[in-house]
Amino acid sequence: MNGMSFTRRSVLKGLGASVAFPLIANRAFAQESDLGAYQSAKIDWRQAEGENITVAVIPAGYFENLIALAPQFQALTGVNVRFEKVPPAQIRQKAVLDLTAGTGTYATHAADPMYYPLYQANGWVDDLTPYLDDPALTDKAWFKPEDIVPAWLSANSIDGKVYGIPYDGEVTLQVLRKDLLEAKGLKPAEDLDAFLANASELHAPNDRVWGTALRGVAGAGQNVYIYSSLFRSFGGDWLPGGKLTVNGPQAEAALAWYVDTMKTYTPAAAQNWNWPDIADAFSQGTLASYVDAHSSASVINNPEKSQVIGKIAYARWPKGPSGKRVSSIWNWGFPINAKLSDAQKKATWLFIQWAASAETQIRTSYRFEGATKRSGVNRLSLWSDQDYVETVSKFGDNFVEATLTALKDDTDVDWRPRVPQWPAVGDAVATAVASALAGQATPKAALDAAQQRVEGFLK
Amino acid sequence: MSMSAAQGIGERDPLPHASDHDRTALSRERRFAAALLAPAFLALIATTTFPLLFLVWISTRRMDLAMPFMDGFVGWENYRQLFADPRFWESLVLSLVYTVGTVVLQVVIGLALALLVIRMKRGQALFRMVAILPVVLSPAVVGMVWRSFMLTPEFGVIDYLAITAGLGSRNWLGDPTLAMVSVIVIHTWQWTPFAFMVLLASLASLPDDIYEAARIDRANAWQRFIRITLPLLRPAIVMVVIMRTMVALTAFAAIYTVTTGGPGTATEILNLYAYRKSFTELSLGYGATLAVALLVLTLAISALLFVIRRKD
Repeated sequence: MNGMSFTRRSVLKGLGASVAFPLIANRAFAQESDLGAYQSAKIDWRQAEGENITVAVIPAGYFENLIALAPQFQALTGVNVRFEKVPPAQIRQKAVLDLTAGTGTYATHAADPMYYPLYQANGWVDDLTPYLDDPALTDKAWFKPEDIVPAWLSANSIDGKVYGIPYDGEVTLQVLRKDLLEAKGLKPAEDLDAFLANASELHAPNDRVWGTALRGVAGAGQNVYIYSSLFRSFGGDWLPGGKLTVNGPQAEAALAWYVDTMKTYTPAAAQNWNWPDIADAFSQGTLASYVDAHSSASVINNPEKSQVIGKIAYARWPKGPSGKRVSSIWNWGFPINAKLSDAQKKATWLFIQWAASAETQIRTSYRFEGATKRSGVNRLSLWSDQDYVETVSKFGDNFVEATLTALKDDTDVDWRPRVPQWPAVGDAVATAVASALAGQATPKAALDAAQQRVEGFLK
Repeated sequence: MSMSAAQGIGERDPLPHASDHDRTALSRERRFAAALLAPAFLALIATTTFPLLFLVWISTRRMDLAMPFMDGFVGWENYRQLFADPRFWESLVLSLVYTVGTVVLQVVIGLALALLVIRMKRGQALFRMVAILPVVLSPAVVGMVWRSFMLTPEFGVIDYLAITAGLGSRNWLGDPTLAMVSVIVIHTWQWTPFAFMVLLASLASLPDDIYEAARIDRANAWQRFIRITLPLLRPAIVMVVIMRTMVALTAFAAIYTVTTGGPGTATEILNLYAYRKSFTELSLGYGATLAVALLVLTLAISALLFVIRRKD
């Protein structure tokens, strides 16, 4: 028996050492001075010391930068954070499976803003407002929640309660080939008619330049991402009289515009394209314009791949027939899993506060050592920070102005219907848009069929 | 007699004059055998039977993650909804088109290849090895390769061939009919080697003397094929049809990666519809009902094919 206990003790000792070692190593890596900017916040960063949390993110540059800084967070708080990278196509399902099972595997995850109504209806995530209001957990003067892009924060809120803090986000813009426009004496389009006129002038498929491209592949976050903005700028309303409606004259007009534009001015393959495909085609010089996320600027400015660097300009979404510009907006936010223990919730909130703080946003953007510079920072103040503006101005003409104006003026929280049934509704609309584009059905027939499905979901 | 008990559970019938002692030893041995079997048996029940029963149970409930407050037992309601759901019938028809199309092509092309190769004197082994390659690939990989490398308009290999042949560029995955043809061709491309290998092996085992007799009777090649080869191959062909039908009915990965059921719902076979209902629309109860329908369909068709086989 003596021998047994000796073995157990030595095993425990070994385990202890193996846990302690990375902690010591991390401390050494993140120097004390690094943490000064965080320690000026009047909260106890070490109140959840020793907790372990797992965070699911997508494999993208902006999260890679955050992961690279995680040792600093561990040194600051003593909380061990483990990241799990899940591709964007699967992260929603994985998160939903975890939340339904109630296992609390992911303390927080990069969440789709359209999923908060679903999370909230099931009580899967915590209301974050109490966390923000508790002076023991949040130093508001330091964290400055009002500085976070309001359009994103309200996309993550329901009835005034916040369910996810934005970490990175985007807004959609017109992306243009300045050189081609100038050669024909054209200006960036102010409205959708002018947008088509420009596309028609620049459309020369025989020289392998197509007028424009929009997302064609079916999906609530793909073709619907663009279609919804068109629908709203044609004067459409998702919830007239409180009833979820996806068909009607404005919807038909918007879908007809989308189908005509795709059929006339985009490469045939664009029907299966998502934004990376569009950005790739643009960077090869085969597109004269596209409308998509401002963050695709980093793809078309990649010096290893792009042939159009220095020839790019940006503009806000064209106005629709209703006179409105409706930009598609998006952010990856962090909610708190309701199934965690109180101590884990504290640890998770500290992580969220750290990741969303101005300091971390700066350290993952222009002050980041690596190659990728983020353009989707969550703070309005950064857009007037000289160093940041200098970094992102290199993406092309009018990038900073167009992005900032679009973020402030062209967004609309309800540009997609925020209902718990969104996963199903979004899929029904995606299928309708795709089948109209494929010529399987007229826009009216496709949308009427979608409406019928949507009514089925709500029964 | 203790000898016979020690020989194992195979010894089921102890001699009439066996003593009580022997009988106890035997029953003890049987219990021991059952105890040895139990873990595997329980694991099998836990991993196959239980999930299946659970699926059937869920299919009698409303389980809608988007509207958890509506959840509860609904009995036959999901099945009533199923029969009234036009998209279910459409996906059923697509499943049948897909299955019949790909199985017929696999058998015809597989048989033609086998007939060609059986006469090869040299290089047969090499041909067999090359032909089997698509089978070992993961369907998801096959889907990705076809989607990007083969079928992309303007850039893909197939489209290049079509343009060169004067057919012009086609939007292979964007046109509803062409998309269905494309996914059938992809499945056929991947699985024809299976039919080919099985039929080649059966061909090689056919007796030569019948053919000699036919030649003496001046039967031409076509007559020999129709009257001798086909009837003799019939059991092998039926077996291939059964195995390929079961797989084609439940195909998923390749279609999912190539079209995700699109454009619109043009290639949304029953399996994909069930997936979409369950995991995109988060309507798990109705999704389970669709899965049960697919299970019943697969079982019914397989049973029918087995009946046909038994008649041989």
